[in-house]
Amino acid sequence: MREDVLYYIPLGGTAALAAVTALIASIGFLRTRNFRFDSLARAATETLLAFLAAGIVSGCFVIHSASGRWWTWDARLTAALVCWLLFATCLMLRQAVEEPSRRAAFAAVWTVFACLDVPLVVATAAWWKPGKALPIEWTWGRFGLLAAIAVVGGLFTVVRARQEEARRELDSRRRKAFES
Amino acid sequence: MSAVAVDGVWKFYGDYPALRDIRLEAAPGTCLALIGRNGAGKTTLLRIIAGFSRPGRGQVRIFGGEPRDTATRRQVGFLGHGISVYDELSAIENLTLYGRLYGLADPPGAARVWLERTGLARVANGLVREFSRGMRQRLAVARAFLHEPRVLLLDEPFTALDDKAIAVLSGLLREALAAGKTVVMSTHQLREALELASHVALLVRGQLAFHGASTPEMAADPGYVYARYGEG
Amino acid sequence: MGFFRQAGVIAAKDLRAELRTKEAINSSLAFALVILLMFSFAFDPLADTTREISGGLLWIVFAFAGTLVLNRSFARELPNDCLDGLIAAPVSGAALFLGKACASFLLVLGVQLVSLPVFGVFYNVPWTRQFPELLLVLVLGTWGLTVVGTISSALTVNIRLRELMLPMLTYPILFPALLGAMQLTAGLVAGNPIGPDEYGWLKMMVGFDVIYTAVSLALVETILVG
Repeated sequence: MREDVLYYIPLGGTAALAAVTALIASIGFLRTRNFRFDSLARAATETLLAFLAAGIVSGCFVIHSASGRWWTWDARLTAALVCWLLFATCLMLRQAVEEPSRRAAFAAVWTVFACLDVPLVVATAAWWKPGKALPIEWTWGRFGLLAAIAVVGGLFTVVRARQEEARRELDSRRRKAFES
Repeated sequence: MSAVAVDGVWKFYGDYPALRDIRLEAAPGTCLALIGRNGAGKTTLLRIIAGFSRPGRGQVRIFGGEPRDTATRRQVGFLGHGISVYDELSAIENLTLYGRLYGLADPPGAARVWLERTGLARVANGLVREFSRGMRQRLAVARAFLHEPRVLLLDEPFTALDDKAIAVLSGLLREALAAGKTVVMSTHQLREALELASHVALLVRGQLAFHGASTPEMAADPGYVYARYGEG
Repeated sequence: MGFFRQAGVIAAKDLRAELRTKEAINSSLAFALVILLMFSFAFDPLADTTREISGGLLWIVFAFAGTLVLNRSFARELPNDCLDGLIAAPVSGAALFLGKACASFLLVLGVQLVSLPVFGVFYNVPWTRQFPELLLVLVLGTWGLTVVGTISSALTVNIRLRELMLPMLTYPILFPALLGAMQLTAGLVAGNPIGPDEYGWLKMMVGFDVIYTAVSLALVETILVG
């Protein structure tokens, strides 16, 4: 089985779906200020980071088994690493803002910025390190693998979003109790 | 039309309501004192009225306009906790800058007038970083009044002012009220506020506990409002 | 008052304040020279291989030194709550952002134009041979750096670890623009003009600048007012 079909595409594809989810949720928050969108955006960002990290790490193992080196600056790995940094800074930004409404608004704005950058990063990496991507023959098995990993990512996102909702509810109750 | 109308305003920090269903009005030519303990929400409400943040629910109107509209902001003067003037610029440079931003016809001319009125004419070309605390406060007052606003929003204006600055500010506020302008001020200094205020709004834990005309009992005993309507 | 006039007033204010104190410019210039010096220790400045990577080294210097100027962009509004004064004024967030970006752009470009001859001397590169094209790349790359840095400055002005967060936010976003600038500059400082196969990098830099200027102008009000 080709390693890129086994690892990169399902993991990277799930990360891409998570990025789209984060983008839509962030725009949703900016328009409605409904914190459910913020919870979804945060959860999707975490899913994206987890799956992209898994893709990068598996990529390192693939490179190592082929060439003995742990890293190469090819277009895919470079783009994946930069995209991972883009969204990691979104989470860092959340940690640095105390007030919940501002935190959600800032994270939403930066997620929009990061998502706009993704196609530019991918194109730039491809120009910088042009390589010939092997054509992929899509079979039902390969679709199934992609779908299975995407479903796992989706479940992870939903669970994290609900955890975020619960944490916010707890926070609010703690504040009310403190006041009275 | 009210000068300032707050209609069903809520402000949330996350899910926690810092302001709950605030409804109040200030008619043109009146002075509304927003009072309450620390953390009651006075500054939060004032900053929403001034357009620094948006309410979670409800709306604010200043002479019928949204606080963030450019036309509305031209009619509002804000004096917050900070003096909002630049240490690296001179007094006249600061006021000329704000005069330009507020679209005045003759910014340097207006700057000179207000430096004169606040007793800073002789230090017009001095850098603000060299000013004493009292001079900086008077410059802040000049900045807030520079563009002849119809509505003045003041956040604890008498706190940390020296006697000269208090006299200047009180005089300007009396003049403004006599000219039909509207003043909304949040304050801990009940005595000074109630000398000027025609109306009082008491906030208790983000809710409006009292809103109405100030009475002789309030002016005589500033603690009366808290005892009668608040937490004591 | 028109949008561009307001932006001009803000830019003039920032430039006047900075030229009076020279805090950001001096530290940025000093930092640029120190990095150039340290690179000279790390890599033999006269070796051919070093000349090949000199374009990249130059933009690392510009990016790091530029951050010191960009950090000051909204941070200069913190003392005395000056940001409140600007937000209360009838100035749109977009005009405020554009004014600050223009002022920062001129300051960063100034630092770069001073650093460039020093770089040329240390690395013995014919950087003046393609100067108009080099200036174009500097302008495009610096505008991208400035726009992203200024919006990051607005975001981080009131948060914890501001000085750390601004570069952390700015550099990953800048990857496409920085890489394009490095690729083009490498050839230009060696005295080679931009070839037809490099026009794509130029277009990408223009695209990056346009996209991020537009999005920053659209979203800055949300950051400032919430």
